[in-house]
Amino acid sequence: MRDLLTDILQQSAPPAAFAWLRDRLGEQETQFSKRPFYYAFSGVSRHFPKHGRLEITPEQSQRLHELAPGLSLDHWDVFRLARVRLLLSLERQEKSVFLETIAALLNTADLREQAAIYSAYPLLPHQEDLVESAIDGLRSNIVDVFDSIALNNPFPAARFTDAAWNQMVLKAIFISRPLYRISGLEARRNADLAAAISYLAHERWAAGRRIPAEAWRNCVGFVSDEISADLHHLLETGEPTDREAAALVLASDGDPRLADLRGRLEGEIDAIGSGTLSWDRLGEKLEFPVTLNGSPAKA
Amino acid sequence: MKFLDSHVHMVSRTTDDYQRMAASGVTAIIEPSFWQGQPRTEPGTFKDYFNTLIGFERFRASQFGIKHYCTIGLNPKEANNEKLAEAVMELLPLYICKEGVVGIGEIGFDDQTKAEEKYLRLQAQLALEADLPIQIHTPHRDKKLGTIRTMDVLEDVGIDPGKVIIDHNNEETVKLVLDRGYWAAFTIYPHTKLGNERMVEILREYGAERIIVDSAADWGISDALAVPKTAALMKERGVTLERIEQVTYKNPLAAYGQSGQISEQDWEGSEGIDPTALFEGNTLLRGGMDVATAMSQYLMIE
Repeated sequence: MRDLLTDILQQSAPPAAFAWLRDRLGEQETQFSKRPFYYAFSGVSRHFPKHGRLEITPEQSQRLHELAPGLSLDHWDVFRLARVRLLLSLERQEKSVFLETIAALLNTADLREQAAIYSAYPLLPHQEDLVESAIDGLRSNIVDVFDSIALNNPFPAARFTDAAWNQMVLKAIFISRPLYRISGLEARRNADLAAAISYLAHERWAAGRRIPAEAWRNCVGFVSDEISADLHHLLETGEPTDREAAALVLASDGDPRLADLRGRLEGEIDAIGSGTLSWDRLGEKLEFPVTLNGSPAKA
Repeated sequence: MKFLDSHVHMVSRTTDDYQRMAASGVTAIIEPSFWQGQPRTEPGTFKDYFNTLIGFERFRASQFGIKHYCTIGLNPKEANNEKLAEAVMELLPLYICKEGVVGIGEIGFDDQTKAEEKYLRLQAQLALEADLPIQIHTPHRDKKLGTIRTMDVLEDVGIDPGKVIIDHNNEETVKLVLDRGYWAAFTIYPHTKLGNERMVEILREYGAERIIVDSAADWGISDALAVPKTAALMKERGVTLERIEQVTYKNPLAAYGQSGQISEQDWEGSEGIDPTALFEGNTLLRGGMDVATAMSQYLMIE
């Protein structure tokens, strides 16, 4: 993985910036020292282009997928990759030194540094000791920090308890983040989360507001009387994406309480059959365009 | 027209201020580290304060489309608590090389004590090592001598005056500062610092070269719109738009741009405001607020 990330960085960054990073990595790998490491980590902002995009070949994408399923670099930039690559050099350190260094970096990290640290979590050792800080990071209201943990990152699905997982998904709904980009969303479905989504829908509907149609993806396999009633209600909202969500639940959940919906959702069910409708497609359609400055549109 | 307010303490301001600033064309801001109205008692509170400047405040500003930068430093008032000051000096290297940190500041003299001089000198050395601009706070009491003493210390350390922005100037200090090659910033702050009518006169006398106008709005009675209001007053008093833009936008950008951490590309695509709309007081600005009308009523800051 280290070599793969190094290759991607080399092809994406100006030669001088890459050479600077390679020198820092060399120093740190010969003799690790905390303060120079902190400076190198921050110093990425002094050497790399501010919003440099990553160049990744299809072969590298495939290799990445094999090495770290659920991880996507699509929303990373060169700053983040350079910092993640530096963090990976810490894996040779003793556990206590490793954990102290991560904690110290987080302690003084700016927004993009925080995002880089959390993005590296699924690739770092001693992950069981990083869980609490990831949960703490999700308490942030800063969207980029939240996203770095919750989206395209396999760490939460692999490490979180149901309680922590459910809080993350619910907060993602609250702040209008795209659920289809949460790695492991389907594997981590559970009855408590399904019930919480039903309660949230009732609150929103009582206030005359909406709940993103993607939220119902969490209820597949956990249909209760309430959720069955909610899914029936989705056909009454007048919102096409709500009907699509109901059809998508129906398509993968054989609960008999939903059987009568089949005849009322024929068009949507055909679309699922032909591949033009799926949860991911629905998610892409719903995804709020994030503004240039990183803040989402208001829910 | 766009404005860069190079001295404003947003941690003390509300979202109303952010909305009004954005609507008045304030596109980018620099928040210096400073005293928070009462002394801090622990180094950890400095760390969290610095974290706010590079973290949540930057995010908060971004929600209004405003780019937020900061300067990091130990302010002169708190330099007098030496135990605390030592601990803060240990923290500074962790922050000064971060993204969006455009200088060491605001540092300088308050009571003009030995401790203040010691930490001014140490932080000037830090700026030299990190190749960063310095933002100087000049003292309220005995300002003229304090300003001269500040420049003496900086030159003794080997700092290039072209990389130093000396703030809170007045009619008594401006010539001294410009003559020695420094940038001279003026804080438009009601009652205690400088009113903007005086600013217009200073501009007439000294021109626009190396002159910067800022608000230093903070937790006291101050005005987050001081820069656009002063620009409006200048326009009304016949100062050219070119010159207004120089002191409210281009000069601070050039001075702090020496850090390599702030450039116009950072806010590419942002619209700014139509100066005619702002100055003629008859157009509803973005956000549905009639800022122009409000501004025409309170243009003068005394």
